[in-house]
Amino acid sequence: MAETFNLPDVGEGLTEAEIVAWRVAVGDTVAVNDIVVEIETAKSLVELPVPFAGTVEELVVPEGETIEVGSPLIRIAAEGEAPAPQGSDESVEEETAEPHAEQKNQPEQKSQKGQRRSAEKRSQQKSAGKSVGEKTPDAGGDALVGSGPKADVAVRRPRVRHTEPDSVDVSDLGLPDPVLPIRDGGSGAAPDIADIVSKASPPVRALAKRLGVAVWELVGSGGNGKITRDDVERQAQEKQAQRSAGGAPARSLPVTASPRPPVPAEQGLLYEGPREEKIQVRGVRKATAANVSHMAANVPHVSVFKEVDVTRTMELREALKKDPSFEGLSVSPMLFAAKAIIWAARRNPQVNASWHDTHYTLKNYVNLGIAAATPRGLVVPVIHEAHTFNTRGLAAAITQLTVDARDGRTTPAEMQGGTISITNVGSLGLDGGTPILPPGQASIVALGRVQKKPWVVDGQIVPRDIMIIGGSFDHRLIDGEHAGRFISDVAAVLEQPGLLLD
Amino acid sequence: MNAVQPIQLLAPEGTLSENETYSPYIAALSDEDLRSLYRNMALERRLDAEATSLQRQGQLALWVPALGQEGAQVGTIAALKPSDMVFPTYREHAMALYRGITPEELITQFRAVAHAGWTPEKYNFHLYTVVLGAQTLHAAGWAMGIAQDLRTGSVPRGRQEDEIVLACLGDGASSQGDVHESMVFAGSYGLPVLYFIQNNHWAISVPTSTQSKAPLAARAGGYGFEGVRVDGNDVLGSYAVAAHMAEQIRSGQGPKLIESVTYRIGAHTTADDPTKYRSADEVERWKAQDPLDRYRTWLTAQETADEGFYQQVEEEAEDLAAELRRATLSIEAQPLEEVFDTVYAEPHRQIEAEKAWLKDYEAGFAEDGDKA
Repeated sequence: MAETFNLPDVGEGLTEAEIVAWRVAVGDTVAVNDIVVEIETAKSLVELPVPFAGTVEELVVPEGETIEVGSPLIRIAAEGEAPAPQGSDESVEEETAEPHAEQKNQPEQKSQKGQRRSAEKRSQQKSAGKSVGEKTPDAGGDALVGSGPKADVAVRRPRVRHTEPDSVDVSDLGLPDPVLPIRDGGSGAAPDIADIVSKASPPVRALAKRLGVAVWELVGSGGNGKITRDDVERQAQEKQAQRSAGGAPARSLPVTASPRPPVPAEQGLLYEGPREEKIQVRGVRKATAANVSHMAANVPHVSVFKEVDVTRTMELREALKKDPSFEGLSVSPMLFAAKAIIWAARRNPQVNASWHDTHYTLKNYVNLGIAAATPRGLVVPVIHEAHTFNTRGLAAAITQLTVDARDGRTTPAEMQGGTISITNVGSLGLDGGTPILPPGQASIVALGRVQKKPWVVDGQIVPRDIMIIGGSFDHRLIDGEHAGRFISDVAAVLEQPGLLLD
Repeated sequence: MNAVQPIQLLAPEGTLSENETYSPYIAALSDEDLRSLYRNMALERRLDAEATSLQRQGQLALWVPALGQEGAQVGTIAALKPSDMVFPTYREHAMALYRGITPEELITQFRAVAHAGWTPEKYNFHLYTVVLGAQTLHAAGWAMGIAQDLRTGSVPRGRQEDEIVLACLGDGASSQGDVHESMVFAGSYGLPVLYFIQNNHWAISVPTSTQSKAPLAARAGGYGFEGVRVDGNDVLGSYAVAAHMAEQIRSGQGPKLIESVTYRIGAHTTADDPTKYRSADEVERWKAQDPLDRYRTWLTAQETADEGFYQQVEEEAEDLAAELRRATLSIEAQPLEEVFDTVYAEPHRQIEAEKAWLKDYEAGFAEDGDKA
């Protein structure tokens, strides 16, 4: 039974933090309040003490990553079989706060435990209790303002108070006139939180959430465009009607008094979801954007291409695949291209270099960067001192690096110090491309896909394995001549892998 | 920066010096009293560490560490009578614990589940005031009430005729206009207020040297009362000076001011990163003057306390920390309706109306048919 420690808001209102350094490793034993990780927030470097005792089961986030407050950080397995002694705060809180609700409603929504308070929470639980088997639609529910789970932080109530004090006659008390916020409605694009807050009161939003209605798609029929309970209920009925009708939108039924049809399908949207969606730029995407912007704007790129007959390489590949010493290793065109690049870099020092305005530095070693698509985006982990590896060693290194990258285990250190890189656009089914250079490097080689093509050999047209290799180069230090000779050398090796025997 | 040396009885090395005015106050303390000073400092230190961890674990909205200021706080509060009203800032945890405020009551505000966790009258300890310096006005106002009660001969039941008021503030708040006004009134009316400035050297990131070119204690002269500087990391000095001042105030000599020269070892709050504005060397220099270390050295040398005692205090501190953690994780939010009940002493129509409005508003969350 593992406990998860989510990233808390350690400042006042911080939304994210970067994982700077882990102080523990998987398998370590920790006690309550042991420092496990150092994080950097917008305000400061902070050491986080863990709230549970036990064994570290998983470090969820790699160093260098920025995650949102409330995201899982580390998982701790309790020692032995005893139930976790510490930090089962949510259940403690729940039990003391609402023993009756707990008993009445067994099928409770676990993910929301302890995240909400009082009335809202109560209604949630009751709702869950009632609608068992009824399939509560939860589309859009999570986007409700002010009610989404935030972190392990102290629970917050929705904080809106723009409602008239109309339940009590206070006309003789001399209260100031209630001021209703008036805002221009959004153009029906992305839901603007402030907009929703001003147009739908928390009880209405709570109702919408229960009924699975996306509030921001509604145009309110109340004063000042306020969304009323009726608006929400009408929309829910409409949705229900659509479902019974087999999904076909019932065009004849106007949903609200609104001039804007609120049903997505009627607007001809591409897929289920809001019309426009704002995606926050962070983490790998943020880093990638910064890097490519800088390189594209500051480095004059030049690209060259060459079509190569890689039949012999493919034959060698087949042979190595059968070799027991390569078992479990990825023997891909990438492996041979890597060998070829190292070989060609030896003959063309100019490409394995970095530019520094007043000088440039030739690297008499190869730290080979390999661009990898991962679930979180593009990363370029580096095989350090790649020129010292034999073929099997290189195959092992590439295999390990690709697996790590896909699992998100690449550490920031493994992404530093590349001298020359390789990107396999062939794995995307493409023949070639003009990649942007990684920061600090002057060359990147692009591998196209291997394809059987008619090829002229000794005056005969025969089917051969053909691949286009190419790449981008920093034109400030790499002339067309350098790039051409280098790519031709890489091509020569792929055409005739026997050259590697030298 | 200034020539006025703070009064110090117990040096960082743990040696006690003689002082004609102040030593008698120490001599009057029993061994039990002396051990109690250590115990109270140690308890606060452990509680402080636990609360900091709880904040880092997302269980508290904020924590305000008092690490390093235990001597100043414990020495001063111990010199007062339980009937004296204290107006704290938001960092007087050692004083709060000394007065019997429980970990749960203390943590309520930092857990952000209620505006306050205790009733001021119960402990003669006002609520933590986050508005900088505002508590000094409340203190002057309270003291004016005391003066009025004495003049009319109508001291309320449960209060003492010789009550004095402790107004806590920091070096940063000393620059606030509120503090000036409070001191003007205290001086003008000769109020029974002891101003207790903990000069911990940093008003968040602004050093005291920027706040004032003269010792803060010297400001009292401008308002017509006495101010002294004391080594706040010397718990005995802090006790003796406060006891001496309190005695004079109680005898009707009007307000006094203590500038307690100490140091905030931790961050201003958990939302602050002190490494950005002060050097590690400076912090190390102050750690060498730690209030607990020097006092323990002296207590041990005096044979007033032994390892068994320290062990016992440590165990008690661990229990206190565990209790703080338990309380933090189990504490329930104050029902919002109760907020209305404590605005006025007596029922109030507008408040009742607003309370009813809230009830109706909350009911709006319920499902149809749920209201029954």
